[in-house]
Amino acid sequence: MSALLRLTALGLVLNFRNRAAILYGYLFPLIFLVAFWAVYRSDPVPLILHIGQFLTVTILGSACFGLPTTIVSERERGVWRRYLLLPARGWVFVASVLAARLVLLISAVGLQWALAFGFGMPWVAHPWALAVAFLAASAAFLALGMVIAMLVDNVPAVQALGQCIFLPMLMIGGVAVRLESLPDWAQKASAFFPGRYAVEALQSAATGTGQAGYDIIMLLLIALAGVVAAAGLFRWDRQFHPNRAWVAVALAMWVAVGAWTVTRGHASAPQQIDAKAVGEAADYAAPHVAEAAPPPSWQQAGDRDFATIAYDRLPPDEGIVSPVARPDEEPDAVIEPQLTRIQSALPGWAPGNVSDPVQRARNLLTVAAVPDILQMEQVERFVPRLLFARLQTVIPPRDLPKILYWIATHPDDGDGAAMHQLSAFGLPDVTGPQKPVRGRVMLYAFKLLGRLDGKIVTAPR
Amino acid sequence: MISIRHLSLRPWVQDVSFDVAAGEVFGLLGANGAGKTTTVECLLGLRRFGEGRLTVAGEATGSVAARAATGAVLQATALQDKVTPREALALYAAFHARPLGVETLLTRFGLTQKRDAAYETLSGGQKQRLQLALAFIGDPKVLVLDEPTAGLDVAARRALHEDIVAAKAEGRAVLITTHDMDEARALCDRVAVMAGGRIVATDVPGALALEHLILGGA
Repeated sequence: MSALLRLTALGLVLNFRNRAAILYGYLFPLIFLVAFWAVYRSDPVPLILHIGQFLTVTILGSACFGLPTTIVSERERGVWRRYLLLPARGWVFVASVLAARLVLLISAVGLQWALAFGFGMPWVAHPWALAVAFLAASAAFLALGMVIAMLVDNVPAVQALGQCIFLPMLMIGGVAVRLESLPDWAQKASAFFPGRYAVEALQSAATGTGQAGYDIIMLLLIALAGVVAAAGLFRWDRQFHPNRAWVAVALAMWVAVGAWTVTRGHASAPQQIDAKAVGEAADYAAPHVAEAAPPPSWQQAGDRDFATIAYDRLPPDEGIVSPVARPDEEPDAVIEPQLTRIQSALPGWAPGNVSDPVQRARNLLTVAAVPDILQMEQVERFVPRLLFARLQTVIPPRDLPKILYWIATHPDDGDGAAMHQLSAFGLPDVTGPQKPVRGRVMLYAFKLLGRLDGKIVTAPR
Repeated sequence: MISIRHLSLRPWVQDVSFDVAAGEVFGLLGANGAGKTTTVECLLGLRRFGEGRLTVAGEATGSVAARAATGAVLQATALQDKVTPREALALYAAFHARPLGVETLLTRFGLTQKRDAAYETLSGGQKQRLQLALAFIGDPKVLVLDEPTAGLDVAARRALHEDIVAAKAEGRAVLITTHDMDEARALCDRVAVMAGGRIVATDVPGALALEHLILGGA
């Protein structure tokens, strides 16, 4: 076995002989996971919308506390000074401690995931992208951990400096508190902390709700600067004092990355658009027989057309895509004001009263679709119920199934401007392409049609 | 085997020169702060020095080749609390091209009974013997021992002396620092007395009034 492998293996063995290391390395990540699960237990799908947060907390804790504590305690004892007498290049010892830490980190995340799956978390959207994001975040934070280890002289100082970095990142760095919950100044400030990029990269990769590339590049730049700074600060022995000016290299990159993000207008909480492809109308309403030609207009749609719909292919009401609350489900008190606002604004909302009944229905369904693609958690499941009720009020019962069928099978028709006129409901404008919204409008049209047609039965639990 | 020429690292060491041949035990004596440990640290590549040419087995000090030829016991070094003597020796052996056997060294240094005991449970003498075993693991041509018997009881000290004598008999060059005159007389073929960062006298132990030189400071 090579010296590097043996040193890495011994590092792992010694870690497992240390109760405190096991406690901090494994138990704490699990406690964090349970905390996230408990706080967001009313999510329709457990934990998946917070995967970026709890993975970042785990990486951050292991890199900012676990890694420097190991290095500093060994350096204090003279272990590294003794290593320096061995006939090997210095990088071997650094690589082994980083490799051991990465293995510990991956195993801690593995345990975390096992528990998360036990809580019902679904599989992630892009596992390879998630792996890349995880490695980029780990690189950034392990480099930071090395900088901490080289700066401080003793283990208590690791805790002190680690907390100084850890806590702001948790509170205003977009890690523990979601970016969209922070005031504008804090959202801008978060751009100067690596934690934000880690959360966004991991979350985007896990749920497919955004572009992880930008965040991964920022993390890699931060990692690179951290490596340079740690190399400049490196010391085998506590008696030698490093040139602390090297810290400026790491901090300068944080500032540069933050300034770049703010300048580009990316500092504010990005719209977490759930742009998952939901398929085409033909995926749900394919004619069973060759002679069954589609109706030429909505007025001519009928039972024969409705019978072609494969409702079982629609995403489940309890899922992430196009969720609908059960009839007996009561919203939390915290979202009731927003639901009340939407309900009371619907009658006066101009796009919901246009003369063309198809466009009217399409516009109203947009009000349900937007909270879904913006992943407005609890709200997104209850808004469709309001809209279904409203549609049955403003569209004649005889026409409504036909119109819903038409909208569902022609999702790209009509005017999509309604998605930019949602301020009356307290909903944000949707930026970017209309395709995701139109896809959700299609799904909700199918779902309401299924209810009207008696094909989708939603029984109270 | 060891060659130090005009080593200076001001203000701690000034113009220090000496050689240690194969099969010789050379003692560096001096009071605390005399510059012994600094000299040893420069020789082992632990410190950068201002001036001088230092080689070990013909290799520039601090190079991988020089480190491969050197075994050392230093002050203020330790192992991880939970590592066992067997694991430590196996790890250090992995860094050498032709290491001595782990079991051989455990037996030679009387650690067989403690081979799987955690480092933190070893006595001071056992820890020092393990450090010496680690110094031997690469079958070094040169041994550098910085105050190896400090803090040891009489029995442990005697055992360590036997190990040093054995190393000399095996043809290794041994550089030992101490402030114990009896130890120097018992072990060393030649000694150099350091004071104020300089070597003030070099000779065989019997020819120097060591107490006077050390206590007098020059």
